[in-house]
Amino acid sequence: MSKSMLVISRQAPWAGPGAREALDIVLAGGAYDLPLGMLFLDDGVFQLTTAQQPGDIQQKNLSANLQALPMFGIDELFVAASSLERRGIAADTLALPAQCLNDSELAALVDRYDQVITL
Amino acid sequence: MATLHMLSHSPFGDGRLESCLRLLGSRDAVLLCGDAVYALQQAGAPWASLQKSGAQVFALAEDASARAITAHASATLVDYPAFVQLCLDYDKVNSWL
Repeated sequence: MSKSMLVISRQAPWAGPGAREALDIVLAGGAYDLPLGMLFLDDGVFQLTTAQQPGDIQQKNLSANLQALPMFGIDELFVAASSLERRGIAADTLALPAQCLNDSELAALVDRYDQVITL
Repeated sequence: MATLHMLSHSPFGDGRLESCLRLLGSRDAVLLCGDAVYALQQAGAPWASLQKSGAQVFALAEDASARAITAHASATLVDYPAFVQLCLDYDKVNSWL
């Protein structure tokens, strides 16, 4: 049985390579059928807003990659409720069907994976 | 499964420590190295949060002494061999990169 891994993505989409790298790890792992989960925390939740126009700042769109997650078998998608709330983002407006977790649920989530990476 | 959360950035620069404490499990511990040892500053807000969390706190001794940080007795200062041993003692290590 492969080890399960949780990737915690906490960088805003256009702040640097962090957001894309976290996503690449998950997509690569998904291609090998690894049991992976992804948690969007802190500024990472900004990756999930809709109607972003990254072309305006000469960046490639991240949302196509994000939309690929379920296709790669990654359906363990989570988002931190407190991070959304602080940033004034409503959970029902997100670009992905991520499960919204409160702080104690987050602790339980980290607990149940074999490995965790935070980017 | 118990997790060792490893932090190496200053707690005053961003929200890593705060976020880490929000998702800390009851058996988890925090290991501070590099600029993260500034969280040991006893009159500082990060130290208050760490104490409030009840988490076991470890810190790399040389990173603390290099920065003239004196740790509270409830924080355990470790050297590099002990650092490695800690990583082995916990089920997993979560580095807050």
